[in-house]
Amino acid sequence: MTGSLRLGRRRVPVEDGDSIASALHRAGIRTYTRSLKHHRRRGLVCGTGECPNCLVTVDGVPGVRACVTPAAPGMRVDRERGWPSTDRDLLGILDRLQGLIPVGFYHKTFIRPRWAWRVADRLIRATVGVGRVDGAPGAPGAAARHLHRDVLVVGAGPAGRAAAASAAAGGERVTLCDAGAIEEPPADVEILEGHAAIGLYLGPMVALASAAEVVEVHPRRVVIATGGTESFPVFPGNDLPGVMLGRAAVGLLRRGVRPGKRAVVVAVQEEGIEHLRELDAGGVHIVAAVVPPALASAVPDGVRVLAGAEVVRAEGKEGVRFAVVRDADGTIRGLGCDVFVLSTGLSPRDDLLRMSGPVDPVEVVGDAAAAASPTTSTGAGYVCLCEDVSVGDLERAWDEGFRSSELLKRYTTATMGPCQGAMCGRHLAAFAAAQGATANTASRTTSRPLARPTPLAVLAAAGDEPIDRRTGLHDVHVTAGARVSWSGSWLRPFSYGDPDDEYLAVRERVSLMDVGTLAKFLITGPEAAELVGASFPVRLDDLAPGRARYLLALDEAGYVFDDGVLCSLGDEGWYLTSTSGGADRMEAWLRDHADRRGMRVHVIDLTADRGAILVAGPRARELLAGLVDQPIDAHAFPHMEARELTVAGVPCGTVRSGFVGEIAFELHHARSRGPELWHALIEAGEPVGIAPHGLDALEVLRLEKGHPYIGQDTLPDDTPAKLGLGWAVDATDDAFVGARAIERLGRLPIGRKLVGLAFDRGGAELRGIPLHDGTEIRGRVSSAARSPVLDRTIGLGWIRARDDRTFPTELRAGKVRAEVVPRPFYDPEGARLRG
Amino acid sequence: MVPCPHCGWRPSTEFTWGGELRAVDAANVESDFARVVLPRNVAGVQEERWFHLLGCRRWSTVRRDTTTDEVGR
Repeated sequence: MTGSLRLGRRRVPVEDGDSIASALHRAGIRTYTRSLKHHRRRGLVCGTGECPNCLVTVDGVPGVRACVTPAAPGMRVDRERGWPSTDRDLLGILDRLQGLIPVGFYHKTFIRPRWAWRVADRLIRATVGVGRVDGAPGAPGAAARHLHRDVLVVGAGPAGRAAAASAAAGGERVTLCDAGAIEEPPADVEILEGHAAIGLYLGPMVALASAAEVVEVHPRRVVIATGGTESFPVFPGNDLPGVMLGRAAVGLLRRGVRPGKRAVVVAVQEEGIEHLRELDAGGVHIVAAVVPPALASAVPDGVRVLAGAEVVRAEGKEGVRFAVVRDADGTIRGLGCDVFVLSTGLSPRDDLLRMSGPVDPVEVVGDAAAAASPTTSTGAGYVCLCEDVSVGDLERAWDEGFRSSELLKRYTTATMGPCQGAMCGRHLAAFAAAQGATANTASRTTSRPLARPTPLAVLAAAGDEPIDRRTGLHDVHVTAGARVSWSGSWLRPFSYGDPDDEYLAVRERVSLMDVGTLAKFLITGPEAAELVGASFPVRLDDLAPGRARYLLALDEAGYVFDDGVLCSLGDEGWYLTSTSGGADRMEAWLRDHADRRGMRVHVIDLTADRGAILVAGPRARELLAGLVDQPIDAHAFPHMEARELTVAGVPCGTVRSGFVGEIAFELHHARSRGPELWHALIEAGEPVGIAPHGLDALEVLRLEKGHPYIGQDTLPDDTPAKLGLGWAVDATDDAFVGARAIERLGRLPIGRKLVGLAFDRGGAELRGIPLHDGTEIRGRVSSAARSPVLDRTIGLGWIRARDDRTFPTELRAGKVRAEVVPRPFYDPEGARLRG
Repeated sequence: MVPCPHCGWRPSTEFTWGGELRAVDAANVESDFARVVLPRNVAGVQEERWFHLLGCRRWSTVRRDTTTDEVGR
């Protein structure tokens, strides 16, 4: 397969086995990109998919590593940085102006005037930009896949394959993954090619990402065989194009591309000598081999050996021209070359290992477990290629007081780039140690997921799908044209088009609301009454079968965490409805108490099983009268009672209660019969002007009644007394959760309370605004709305007592006057509610 | 992995943590205050409550070493 790819307007020939980088190199391309801040030329460095220097845009996809991506005819490759082009980049002037953009400049410049940052931000984005994403949402991704295995081996080099083979031979179920292709896969091992391990989490759980999916592997043990990254020595000019690591140079050679004509090779270990031999045999003229004295005899015949020499710097403009070294006797030599090959040992790729906890069953094999080669630095040059951080930058940051590796990282952003510290992490720690930091402050920086760059589209595929909870009436609302949106995890109608009329329907005619989102529990079993009594501060001894009562749920510290309505069903147990968003917590909480007390109780969550429709308004009874099978007048079915009714042929557990302050019936029915019931009610209600209402109208209705939403109008440490709900606590009972705390808190004065507020203007926008008395902040508005029936703005808020323990009565929310007034605002005696 | 009385050992991601195991009740107001407000917060093995939220929804009491995360029944 031969052909060509397009690089800008150029055609670049592609041969079998080419990576994008090798094809470009053959065509004479040496500058692959420009550096992040200084726009210095950058060429191929690591050749193994670690460093940031060969990131290109391929067919519109940015951030592709040219060195490990196979080239294909017809590809369109674009280099990402530089203006007007990567080869001729006028922004290269920034390299001369480094003084203007010192380390951490974004922390100390463009702060004033305030518009300066908005301008600077756009300029900076334009100059550092790393390609473009089209912004279109990706295809709906597959959800994350889960694998449960005995062993996961990460990395399919020789050590990883051996570990996988021996585990498989021992009868374990083994998965072997690698970011690249897997050659010679061992038998009886599940193979995942192109899957990079991006994180190790508690469990252990290892997340793998490929181009198309995320796999979450839950193994009994993990073997890390991620190998090592070649060390990147620090010296002046170490970022010039043509300065490359040994594996990059032989990688090109193995694809039939000579990395250069004349090479200086630095080799400090056996692998380096092998690179030297391979380059020599491959037709690259070796100008000199810089090796430690012990390896001098291993250098092939005919190659000039500089034993014990040290690298001083690399020189050149568009690429390396000279490698400057100091001989063992101190002589400085300039060696002419067009490629400077560095084989100076390995740095274990240990980021996954460093994510694991002390008892995680994780072992490391192969080069990833080997001791790191010492880092080498001449005291100048680039430490971090990704973020363009030099030794000088680290020194300045150190002088400014950032004296630990973690602080240096945060201030200079070294290690935060595409290589995620693989090239530079050890340098940062070594620099801090050399400056005199202690072992603690010169440690490697914390390793966190993601270990490898992962496209957002792949991560999105792994994200939890938002659980789209819908009541059985969802389609009915949508058909009716309702504006449906999230309320917690539920999709609920906020309005059917005219919230003002929806409000009037409740206050003057009759209305429906879908309240199927309420948390609904059946508490039953021989000790159900004991559990309810021991859990809630509600009085039960006079709650006869068929009656209902408002209830608070307190935690052990006496703080209100939920509220609801409890119905006694006699021998069948208790029916509890509580706040929509608190269903999971309420269930867990009830089960915890039942379990710890060893009670014989069933807590059955009926939230999804049962729908509920609220019928409310002065004409609610008129509407229902024609549909029900028994009398529902005020005498037969009074407020706060529960009955089994059949409404339009649908059996309904019916509770007369209500948040909105009018005659109200809550019809709890089998979820599947919801639409049938809803349509029957709408049809029967047409003569009396029925209109359903959504959450927008409900907000006004419940505020007029002064009802707080637990969690919205309350704070986490609100007691019943602070909320003005002390009446909901049974004073004769001392055996409920939180009883002792309530008793103790009852001896203390109340420092804060929730009150009703009347404002001289404004509406819902007052929510969240602090309340002050002219000198001090005394509280905050938690809800507000314009009340049509009262013709004024009302709300709820909490206020703090003054030093003399009295509470203010006149406050301001910003400039709006707020008066503390008794609740409820509307129908305070509840005459309309009881109706 | 966390043990559940109904499902056996399951991944910890299926559970929610319910805090250290405490007595359900205390003899008087003062000891109750300590029970609620002053957790023992041991460095070492403690008994704690785990709820199998994404499973059978049962609670279990689990022994965990807070210094190593080692879990036992």
